[in-house]
Amino acid sequence: MRSFLSKQCDAVYVRKSWETESGRSQQLWAGLAELGALGLQVPETRGGLGMNEVDMVLLLEECGRAALPEPFAETAAVAAPLLASLNDCAEAQSILSAIAQGSAIVTPSHEINPFVSDAHIADFVLLSRGDEIHLLKRDQIEAELQESSDPCRKLFKLRWTPAVGSRVAAGQQGRSLSDDMLNRAALAVAAQQLGVATRLTDMAVAYACEREQFGKAIGSFQAVKHQLANVAVRVEFARPVVARAAFCVATEAAERSVAVSHAKIAACEAATAAAKTALQVHGAIGYTWEVDLQIWMKRAWALDKTWGASRVHQARIAAALLGGEAAPSFGFSV
Amino acid sequence: MKILVTAKRVPDPESTIKVNSSGDGIEEAGIKWVVNPFDEIAIEEALRVKEAQGDAEVVVVSIGPSEAQEQLRTGLAMGADRAILVTGENLDTSAVAKILVKIVEKESPDIVITGKQAIDDDSNEVGQMTAQLLGWPQATFISELKIADDKSSAECTREVDGGMETISVPLPALITADLRLNEPRYASLPGIMKARKKPLEQIEAASLGVDTTPKIVIKSMAPPPAREAGRIVESVDELVTALQSEAKVL
Repeated sequence: MRSFLSKQCDAVYVRKSWETESGRSQQLWAGLAELGALGLQVPETRGGLGMNEVDMVLLLEECGRAALPEPFAETAAVAAPLLASLNDCAEAQSILSAIAQGSAIVTPSHEINPFVSDAHIADFVLLSRGDEIHLLKRDQIEAELQESSDPCRKLFKLRWTPAVGSRVAAGQQGRSLSDDMLNRAALAVAAQQLGVATRLTDMAVAYACEREQFGKAIGSFQAVKHQLANVAVRVEFARPVVARAAFCVATEAAERSVAVSHAKIAACEAATAAAKTALQVHGAIGYTWEVDLQIWMKRAWALDKTWGASRVHQARIAAALLGGEAAPSFGFSV
Repeated sequence: MKILVTAKRVPDPESTIKVNSSGDGIEEAGIKWVVNPFDEIAIEEALRVKEAQGDAEVVVVSIGPSEAQEQLRTGLAMGADRAILVTGENLDTSAVAKILVKIVEKESPDIVITGKQAIDDDSNEVGQMTAQLLGWPQATFISELKIADDKSSAECTREVDGGMETISVPLPALITADLRLNEPRYASLPGIMKARKKPLEQIEAASLGVDTTPKIVIKSMAPPPAREAGRIVESVDELVTALQSEAKVL
């Protein structure tokens, strides 16, 4: 995946995506399908690999490292496993095969986000409202483009009319799927943030080794290298937290919501710290349009606020801890 | 049709290579190892022949340390059917060619495809030596390969000074792949999973009855001299003076 993305989704491609109308490449999407990445969580009976979140987070980290603009996380890591759980919905099952083949893009919509990403190219929107889940075709929605701080992200305000025909789950099942959507999406964000943070750190280290001041590379000065070391530690400490959250989601562990929130916070803190430090290390040139640093900084900031900002996830952890609900098994000391 | 193809374990070309402290090799710690890029092209071509022929088998071979299993798994993940690893240390090109001959005699392939050279030592010898030892026709540095319908020969286009040369070799033959032969595919995730279960045979070089005593001994290695920074001159006259008096190239 890293080798594929390093060639197919380099900084030149990402910058080009800012200028095209859709901002997306069908060729790149087809490549992801050919690689088997889109079908990673699609059941084998539907032409996928039937793998789980523990495997998926590794691919998502690479997506973050490459700043992939395509809605890979939305379709392959969030929508695919949710659709797979809708055993009674024939349409959902048929979409799974199309996802694995690269012929269907599905984007999730949840009340926690005001906007939906990639609604302009999505064949379907899997929409959570209250205790209902709706599966909407593109012609059943109106999408109004919204500006994003990250020009790669195509965000839309949706208008749609609820209909019984589009409803695929309700009541307890709907609430459960809504929670599942949030957990999977927040986990996907956390995994991407690991890649974003790693890339930012790598860029900052490379620049610190190259840029000289007072006759030495600036990376040799403690004031610089200690900051970079601190970021590297944050990233490495966030990685097992994300892996644990992936395992919890894969095994449907009771504490999965807490584990996911922990991962979202840890990975987003690592990524935003990496963005701040990388910018400081680069100095004024880091602010310029020509330097690619902005691609990953903007991604770090944008992902930080999506699928629940840190305070939302802190509140989820606090509720679980202070509510006394199985707190000791989480390994937290209260 | 059976195609035998090689996969040498070499340092990633993007790795920073440093000479080790004893000066007789490279520092291996922290290096990422990959399939020799020319061998990767050879594997891709073997797979394309297989896909075109339908009933072909691709066997990927590596000769070197036991860790070369990783590179063989890459070849299997790309689509090769099975792998053979011949383990041995301190094998020079002559020893590798003799071992490869033994494997060819055991497998009786219709075509052997190797990379034109390995990017670690750039020797560009194993393919030619192997063909010579086997008494097979060889087509080196090819940029296009066409197998005849009756599978009795292969038409190979090779780059030569000032143009392209097309030759026909009867099969079995040995072919070495040049850079422009193809663009290797990525190993897909299903391919990687299938590769875990594909057969990988291990053979010790010593068991093949080949004299592997090195004919080449590396006496010392040294990094190239550091490149000095360039200088911007103010005028053409100053440039000419510098080229005459400093660089002494005019």
